[in-house]
Amino acid sequence: MTTEHSTPMEYSTETNALNIIGFWVFIGAEIALFATLFAAYFIMEGRIADGPSGGHLFVISTLMIQTFVLLTSSFTIGLGVNAMRLGRKGAALTFFIITLVLGAGFVGVEIYEFYEYVHEGLNLQTSAFSAALFTLLGTHGAHVSFGLFWGIGIIIQIVKYGFTPRTANKTFIFSLYWHFLDVVWIFIFSFVYLKGMM
Amino acid sequence: MRELFPANQVIGFVASLALTVIALLVYFLDMSFTVGMVVLLLTAFTQAGLQLVVFMHAGESPDSDSIYLNTYYGIFIALAIVFGSLLAMVWGY
Repeated sequence: MTTEHSTPMEYSTETNALNIIGFWVFIGAEIALFATLFAAYFIMEGRIADGPSGGHLFVISTLMIQTFVLLTSSFTIGLGVNAMRLGRKGAALTFFIITLVLGAGFVGVEIYEFYEYVHEGLNLQTSAFSAALFTLLGTHGAHVSFGLFWGIGIIIQIVKYGFTPRTANKTFIFSLYWHFLDVVWIFIFSFVYLKGMM
Repeated sequence: MRELFPANQVIGFVASLALTVIALLVYFLDMSFTVGMVVLLLTAFTQAGLQLVVFMHAGESPDSDSIYLNTYYGIFIALAIVFGSLLAMVWGY
């Protein structure tokens, strides 16, 4: 390891190291999954039938809130892992709780946004565009929502067992998942929303 | 307190906010579709790389070669799926 101290706890056993590389392989598969959804969206983007288009629907204010909230949550979970490596349990837990609160805020804004879309006459069956849009955004939102429950599970385990090689490993893997969702959001932010509003 | 906010992560966060602001210029300034897409491609991929290296610690462990190889493969598959689909279904070749 090139971290200043020694091997961090999350890498401390062979199983732990294998768990982490295994999770990277899973992330590789997730990249492919989201690529298919993006491809479908780009193909269907213009086929709006009688429904509203992306340019008509997308709102810059909610987009900026969602992006800022998710970027910040990615930062705070990074700080949480750093605190974990320093053995600062209280600080790490605080950062993880902030992360999950921000994640819940993100999902809340997304639900509000979907509610608005339905009011504007866009639901899953409206057009090829709406189906592809809801599938892409919904898959990402479902991942974040799942991450909230996973994160709560991680926090409970840290409170119960403290940082052991096992819980540190689980925590680190959860942080990888969370950062990955932020990366996916960056692409949604750029190539769904901003491209649609250009 | 200071050790809880390591410089590289703080800089990474500020950089990610800066990249977001640059991407948002596509909306707030009047630029052509081509210029806008170039800006978005640059900011999005830089941002993704930043997350990977600064926050996901991709280059730190002894197995970082495997992690990078796996990620490059994932990116290759993603680009092949997206641009292959566009080529066949939208651009009309």
